[in-house]
Amino acid sequence: MAHRILIIDDEEDIREVAALSLETVAGWEVVMAGSGAQGLARAIEYQPEAILLDVMMPGMDGPTTFRELRKNPATAHIPVLLLTAKVQSSDQRRFADLGVEAVLFKPFDPMTLSTEIAGVLGWN
Amino acid sequence: MDPAAQPSMAEALDRMWTRFLPQLEERVATLEAVAAAFAGNHLSEDQRTSAIAAAHKLAGVLGTFGLDEGTVLARELEGLYSRPNSPDPAEGGQLTTLAARLRVIVESRNQPPPPPQQLHFG
Repeated sequence: MAHRILIIDDEEDIREVAALSLETVAGWEVVMAGSGAQGLARAIEYQPEAILLDVMMPGMDGPTTFRELRKNPATAHIPVLLLTAKVQSSDQRRFADLGVEAVLFKPFDPMTLSTEIAGVLGWN
Repeated sequence: MDPAAQPSMAEALDRMWTRFLPQLEERVATLEAVAAAFAGNHLSEDQRTSAIAAAHKLAGVLGTFGLDEGTVLARELEGLYSRPNSPDPAEGGQLTTLAARLRVIVESRNQPPPPPQQLHFG
């Protein structure tokens, strides 16, 4: 089954590699956004089954974007997985406390990213 | 996972690497320039911030392209620039060395393997 997923990340290389990975390895449909604001709009319009959300972005960062997604009835139900290159345990606890489905780490393995996401969301 | 995806994924990743290489090299250049500024005793706060951002982005992406050592070195640099009152003057040489090693790692990906050594008998 082709799941639909939205990737929100300001870094084009990460965004493109993640999309390539999910499309090529898992056959999912991917939509991308380069900022939190654009991501909110895409989430409303596209109604993805899940959102992969970068933490550190200029302007609206990942945690702020996540809170905005939760505030909006059109997007509040969509599971969100944070993607971060922060490895300190204090950061990890802070992100997990937000109420996201999972915190995934950069760098990710393009061959297993979809398996990791599917495992968290029970898509296996 | 679709087993057929493995070779096509590897090829697609190589194409992505080529496409994003200028951007990655630019981040390494930022780290080299900031290390040089620090060595010359004229590191500004803006430069330090740009070094943190460049190192953070490299740490997040290099391992995805199979360059795990690059991620480790970039994280080390991010840590050195991120601490309060950092970097320490004693760490100047380390900043330069780490940036230079990152340059080598980035430039070494996709290099053709060296030709096999010819064996001479008798």
